[in-house]
Amino acid sequence: MTLVAGVDIGSTTAKCVLLEGDRIVGKSLAPVGVELVKDAERALAQALAEAGRERHEVAVVTGTGYGRFKVAFGRFTVTEIGCHAKGAHFLFPGTRVVLDIGGQDTKAIKVDPRGEVVDFAMNDKCAAGTGRFLDVCAGALGFDVSEIGALAEGARHPVKVTNTCTVFAESEVASYVARGKEPPDILAGLYGGIVGRSLSLLQRVGVEPEVTFTGGVSRNGGMVRTLERRLALPVNVSPLSQYVGAIGAALHGRERTEGISA
Amino acid sequence: MGASTEEPSFLVSARDRQREMIEAYYADLATAGGAKRPVAYMLVGGNLTEIVRSFGYEVVFPEIVALNCAIKHVSLPNILQAEAQGYGLDVCGYVKNDLGLQQLGGQTPFGRIPPPDLLVCSFSGCYVYVKWWEALAEKFGCPLFLLDVPYLRDERPPTEDLGYIVAQLNEFIAFLEKASDRRFDPASLRRTLAHSRAAEEGWVRYLASGARRPSPIEAYFEAVFHMFPINVLRGTEEAARFYATLNAEVDERVRSGAYPVPEEKVRLVVEGVPPYPNYRTFWDFFRKWGAVSVAATYPKVGGLFDRGFLHDPARPLESIAEYALGAYVNQSWPLRRKLIEEYVREFAADAVLIHGIKSCRSFTAGQGDLRDRLIHDLGIPTLYIESDHEDPRYFAPAQIKNRMDAFFESLDRRRGGAAEPLRGAP
Ligand code: SF4
Repeated sequence: MTLVAGVDIGSTTAKCVLLEGDRIVGKSLAPVGVELVKDAERALAQALAEAGRERHEVAVVTGTGYGRFKVAFGRFTVTEIGCHAKGAHFLFPGTRVVLDIGGQDTKAIKVDPRGEVVDFAMNDKCAAGTGRFLDVCAGALGFDVSEIGALAEGARHPVKVTNTCTVFAESEVASYVARGKEPPDILAGLYGGIVGRSLSLLQRVGVEPEVTFTGGVSRNGGMVRTLERRLALPVNVSPLSQYVGAIGAALHGRERTEGISA
Repeated sequence: MGASTEEPSFLVSARDRQREMIEAYYADLATAGGAKRPVAYMLVGGNLTEIVRSFGYEVVFPEIVALNCAIKHVSLPNILQAEAQGYGLDVCGYVKNDLGLQQLGGQTPFGRIPPPDLLVCSFSGCYVYVKWWEALAEKFGCPLFLLDVPYLRDERPPTEDLGYIVAQLNEFIAFLEKASDRRFDPASLRRTLAHSRAAEEGWVRYLASGARRPSPIEAYFEAVFHMFPINVLRGTEEAARFYATLNAEVDERVRSGAYPVPEEKVRLVVEGVPPYPNYRTFWDFFRKWGAVSVAATYPKVGGLFDRGFLHDPARPLESIAEYALGAYVNQSWPLRRKLIEEYVREFAADAVLIHGIKSCRSFTAGQGDLRDRLIHDLGIPTLYIESDHEDPRYFAPAQIKNRMDAFFESLDRRRGGAAEPLRGAP
């Protein structure tokens, strides 16, 4: 069976997935620095080490993400939109809509039954409602972003976070803290604000089940539950949600090599 | 990619000819004031060039000056100057370029733009125009004529609207007689309109060639460039001759198989004003994917000649009224949408690309709904991209390219196309 690799160079992290047949045999995730070419190489090397495989065994490497052109050793590049569609369909074949909230952007993607992109909408030049936004706001509350997932569940009187700008929202959060509001109430307000922004993107492409939530922010349980409540739909989330782009890239690479060699 | 860096050899001689015409026009303008030739400022949409020229005026189109500034990368200082005067971030870039430029003395890399002796607000569909012309009238203290053109709501212009415009044109002629101290010469207007008609027919023929497969023309980027004679020099013999040259060249291209892209893969209908400060970069994003515009709405903002709104020397004022009503910029949204749907069918297009303008609250408003209707109701793949027609600060190349790549990639895959040689793209 052919071994293929997908490397996703995002704005905050580099991810790599090694796929053999439909099995993920290796993966890696690390923050990106300034030298994206090296980050990409490292991502592949780490995934190979985890899988106990050698570089020469990999038939094709495909790059995706904003830094996809830095995957210098790759054979193809595919946009992260195409890769998230493919990857989400691989993990949840009933997916019709993908919501991806990454480090610095949010996108809603409508896919067909084969996992091909039908339409997409993205936020514009702004980190509001993204992973970066949550990091900043968690920091303003004195938490690390990894700790805030379940916290909002205890909310009794959620506040309203009206600012959609990361910078202003941070001071809005600080002012709620100063006014003695409880962190769960503030977090519930934040999740409500982010989900509200995501909903407008989702509505642009049209919401229909199944909805699959991907990207780093989907690991936050509070966000997932808020999204489900607002959509009145269950939402698919995979433990591999941060790797969806890389999985999609690996799949695209495999299809293309198979197409080329056929 | 090769195609993205090549200088297109396509339509080179017509392009050179046009460049000469543009240079001559601006050189002429620069001397107009000194030679005591009066200067009228006018708007492109449904303009009254023929009437104004028949009274001996030189015509300046500040929108065209603004887009030329943007293409030459000199719009930002003008915009900043206007902002320093208090015009906000969300004021139309055309307006800020013009008012900033006037404040800075009117000097551009293509010549000095003389101040107006007369202001003709020939189109009223965008409230900005009226305010803009009022600001100019206040600054230069010159007479202002406002033509009120109702939006076109039905495909056939209503008789009462036509009558309303013709009555205003008669007032305009009386106004010009007074302002210029010259008598109106109907015979001269008819001659001018005959030249206009010849140019319009040539332009229509050029645009129609986009229906061929592959298309021998780039109906957005190149057509936008070739709008200059039809909008600015209409009514001159020179403009009519230019389109004859252009069409001869298109015929030659068809014979020799020289097309805008080496291999036509995607046929597009394009809507919206271009990002002039990044014209070439934006065009490259298309060419890389073998995408060609086969029809576009923006080259018709001045006049929708391809739908029969042509000048007619036998019915001078009536045909001018019809033309002004029918200009694309003056069409209501249902008509604009219908035209785009027709273009998709008639030109066998695969998709629609919309470029929206951040600082435009008029012509751009409604394009989001257009996108939704094309995708959700008609199943036409459509991409909406936003930047600005004047302000380079709004153009985010990486993000725009990413969206365009994703769009063309998905089109390619849905059609089961061969893998794009993606590696190494810039
Ligand atoms: S229609 Fe838009 S671009 Fe034209 S003047 Fe009005 S605001 Fe500016």
